[in-house]
Amino acid sequence: MRTEAVIGAPPGRQYPGRLLLHKFGYTVMYIALAAVALVQILPLVWLLIFSLKNNQEVFGMAPFAIPAHPHWSNYVTVWSSGNIGRYFVNSVWITAVSLVCTVLLASFVTFAVTRMKWKGSSLVLGLFMVGLMIPVHSTLIPLFSMFNKLHLTDNPLSIILSYVAFNLPTTIMILLGFYYALPKEVEEAAIIDGCSVNILFFRIVLPMTSSVLATTAIINMIYNWNEFIFVNTFISSDKYKTLTVGVQNFIGQYTTDWGAIGATLVISILPILLVFVVMSERIVEGIAAGSVKG
Amino acid sequence: MDKVMSNKWVIALYVMPSLLLIMGIIYIPIVLTGYYGLNEWNGIGSMTFVGLDNYRHLLKDTAFWQSAGHSLLLALFSGISLIGYLGIALVLSGRIKGANLLRKIYLIPMLLSSVAIAQLWLKIYHPTNGVLNSLLTSLGVENPPSWLAEPSLVLTALFIPIVWQYAGFYILIYYAALKNIPESLMEAARIDGANPWQIAVRIRLPLMSEVIKVTVVLSVVGSLKYFDLIYVMTDGGPNGASEVMASYMYKQAFRSFDFGYGSAAGFFLLLICLVATYLIRKATASKETIQYS
Amino acid sequence: MSKSKMTRGLLLTFVLTLVLSGCGGAKQNQETGSEGDSATDTAGEKVTINMMHLWPAGSSAQQNKLVSQIIADYQQEHPNVTIKQEVLENEQYKNKLKVLSASNELPDVGITWAAGFMEPYVKGGLFAPLDDLLTGEPLKDKFVSGTTEAYSMDNKTYALPIELNISPIYYNKEIFAKYKLEVPGTYEEFKQVVQTLSSNGVAPVALGNKDRWTGSLWYMYLADRVAGGDTLKQAVSGSGSFDDPGLVQAASEVQTLVDMNAFNKGFNGLSNDEGKAEFMNEKAAMYLMGTWELPNFTTNPDIPQAFKDKVGFFKFPTVDGGKGNVNSWVGGPGVGLFVSQDSKVQAEAKAFVEYFVSKWGEQSVTTAGVIPATKVDTTKNELPQLYVDLLNELNNASSITLFADVQMKPNAAQVHLDMIQALFGKAATPEQFAAKHKEAVEKGN
Repeated sequence: MRTEAVIGAPPGRQYPGRLLLHKFGYTVMYIALAAVALVQILPLVWLLIFSLKNNQEVFGMAPFAIPAHPHWSNYVTVWSSGNIGRYFVNSVWITAVSLVCTVLLASFVTFAVTRMKWKGSSLVLGLFMVGLMIPVHSTLIPLFSMFNKLHLTDNPLSIILSYVAFNLPTTIMILLGFYYALPKEVEEAAIIDGCSVNILFFRIVLPMTSSVLATTAIINMIYNWNEFIFVNTFISSDKYKTLTVGVQNFIGQYTTDWGAIGATLVISILPILLVFVVMSERIVEGIAAGSVKG
Repeated sequence: MDKVMSNKWVIALYVMPSLLLIMGIIYIPIVLTGYYGLNEWNGIGSMTFVGLDNYRHLLKDTAFWQSAGHSLLLALFSGISLIGYLGIALVLSGRIKGANLLRKIYLIPMLLSSVAIAQLWLKIYHPTNGVLNSLLTSLGVENPPSWLAEPSLVLTALFIPIVWQYAGFYILIYYAALKNIPESLMEAARIDGANPWQIAVRIRLPLMSEVIKVTVVLSVVGSLKYFDLIYVMTDGGPNGASEVMASYMYKQAFRSFDFGYGSAAGFFLLLICLVATYLIRKATASKETIQYS
Repeated sequence: MSKSKMTRGLLLTFVLTLVLSGCGGAKQNQETGSEGDSATDTAGEKVTINMMHLWPAGSSAQQNKLVSQIIADYQQEHPNVTIKQEVLENEQYKNKLKVLSASNELPDVGITWAAGFMEPYVKGGLFAPLDDLLTGEPLKDKFVSGTTEAYSMDNKTYALPIELNISPIYYNKEIFAKYKLEVPGTYEEFKQVVQTLSSNGVAPVALGNKDRWTGSLWYMYLADRVAGGDTLKQAVSGSGSFDDPGLVQAASEVQTLVDMNAFNKGFNGLSNDEGKAEFMNEKAAMYLMGTWELPNFTTNPDIPQAFKDKVGFFKFPTVDGGKGNVNSWVGGPGVGLFVSQDSKVQAEAKAFVEYFVSKWGEQSVTTAGVIPATKVDTTKNELPQLYVDLLNELNNASSITLFADVQMKPNAAQVHLDMIQALFGKAATPEQFAAKHKEAVEKGN
């Protein structure tokens, strides 16, 4: 948007000595930032190297040493064994559906709780917060028996419902912090103009919160994409399983094919990496864009 | 205004679907967990009602309390680490060159699944050819420790990857919150001659106080029921030195077939989370919510 | 509206037909089954058998292929039967079995472990007795003696084993030759070997004790050699006690080995895979593990032949003055097949299990390197020498002591495993080790 100098205050107003110190400070900061960036990108590099090793090399070589003969065959193994294509498609649509439902439902609830006036709003909020606190393994037996009675086991609906329900509390919590900070004036003006609540919500509030929506969407995506306990427990047919099952395909009774697991992990991280890069652009635009348009 | 914003039908329409969903998917298991906890049950066949026996046993169970202590320590550790994430988010949201690229790179590890993160850190901590000990050896340290095999070190060794795993999550939230603050406010402060530090402390932080409170609750509750990396990396060992409440609960229910007792532990964990949340909300409650003015 | 009603109606009829056909089929099959030959069913009513196992196509390609092939053959011979597989890896498999059993929804056919593991399922009435299969033609006298007993409770057999393992100490011949070491025949000689290797900076024994059952093998052998197999068995069953001086001595021998640096560095924080890697990468000279590792030393194409040629094995040495003998092994049947008691197609499921176990027995060693619990004719098959030698040892075994974590009931097994790690980590004394075991066994779950 703007093409200003990097530093906040115009340099002309400062003493030369301070300027030097300032410059030095920024250099140090950049070195630190770059170092952290390097550390954060290394895991991805490691994963790539890991995926090119066989078991001998995974355990025998230094983690970042590149094998003399990279085992690209791990990728062939992954693609040719199991239904990885099928899993992939399932992962995409199950993740997407759950994510959209969660973010939308959570926005509804947060809007109603923070912007609308009614008794019991804090009680309802409390009910959602308690949902954060149950350990997942406590829920498996009751949930399975419930889905079983409803004939929803071995049905993708069982995992979608579980993902939405278990992600709602976190998503609402995150949205909450942002809704509290939304300026009230805009909606007051809208209501006075004769907007209905629905129009206010969809036309004004949702666009205004686009940055946090992108944030929660990313978080939901990562969670749903990597989840496997619910999939294993509620789904038994291969045709509904997701990519995380691909990883388990290489864990054996006594031996595990680590290189192939690495290859599966690389394959499964690429799509969310791509979506992440695209979606994280939305965060930058932030409230400014939304409120100006509103 | 008030009339429109307190329309009962709209409220019901907005809240009910979600409420029904969590009632069915989360509350039924919570209630049943509480109920199983009152029974002796191996998960198969009929239960025997034993009242509060399991809870009584739990209160005297030193292994459980040890694991609860570890969970609380992790909660504390994660809570403190939020300060660091906030700092990183502040820097990244400042107008520095390449912030956009840096931010994306910083968040990459959060895309990795726990399986990948666990393997990575197992390779870092490996006693002989791990990254850490190779480094220490090359620096002249003789006989560096076996990080995951020493009861005195294992917990700290595990906390680092756990906290790191969630770095992206919190940086992302803080970053979005900071970007949500209208530029005009900071512009005004800048014209008044405020430096970046003053802007951060006086304007940006107060405006995101609600977000910060929320992240404190999320990180504390998330830590108290944390399970993933610990389960893969040490399985609670050695000798329970890295056991946490959720892994203890899991072992009781799924390995020892003591589902009644495991459920009691799970329910107790929920109660501890509730108390912790209540305390946090109380400690951070402010009389007025800060609004843009 | 009417369309959805119609669909529902259709669905209902469909389900009803399935249920009815299931019942009808069951009766019919029981009749033919009693005549001894179930292979000539009257084809007609369709039957679906659900089977859950733990051999994913990725990690256990040969096992997976063999299962699929046996299923395909069976379906060929029984056109009315469809067998649906669900595959989960080991850990997830156990969890799912637990969740399914809580809702009484076990698959018709599934994998179980022996003794202590299966006890809650048997007590809960979830597994069907399979004794009639033991006397039927295909499987009569086919099992290695003693293997089906591990799956029997109250004189009924609830699962049929398809795996049998013993645990030798594998060693690296080259490392032994380099330090002029002989295969130890007694425990004293073994300690000499450990001493020599350790003082030369070689890790004597590869061990990943994060998994705990790995360390348990060492304790089990020492207990067997010092106190004798019967003492151990009685202590586990509760008729004896872990206070037995021999058993306490075995525990303290474990700690002596730890003090001698017999195990690779950081063993308590390493998984079995990581521990094994020390042996595979020739950093450690010995590795005590089940015969399921044999493919890695013989047929696995990923392992260099040069390494495979270096691997030999020896029996766990005897202890002077101890009660155990050298031909007694720690091991036992691994997994077995159960049939669900509540299965709607129980008779068909049993017939399939019978077929499966006998076909598996014929082929598992040659195609998947898995030693079955049914007798293997070593003269008929082309097997690597290591297999032949160990199969012969198996035939000469005086007794096989079942792995402790399988032998004990679930809760006691967990206590045992935790105490093993504490013992190896020197966080518990041999006396505390014994006391905790006694307490757990007395608790009886």
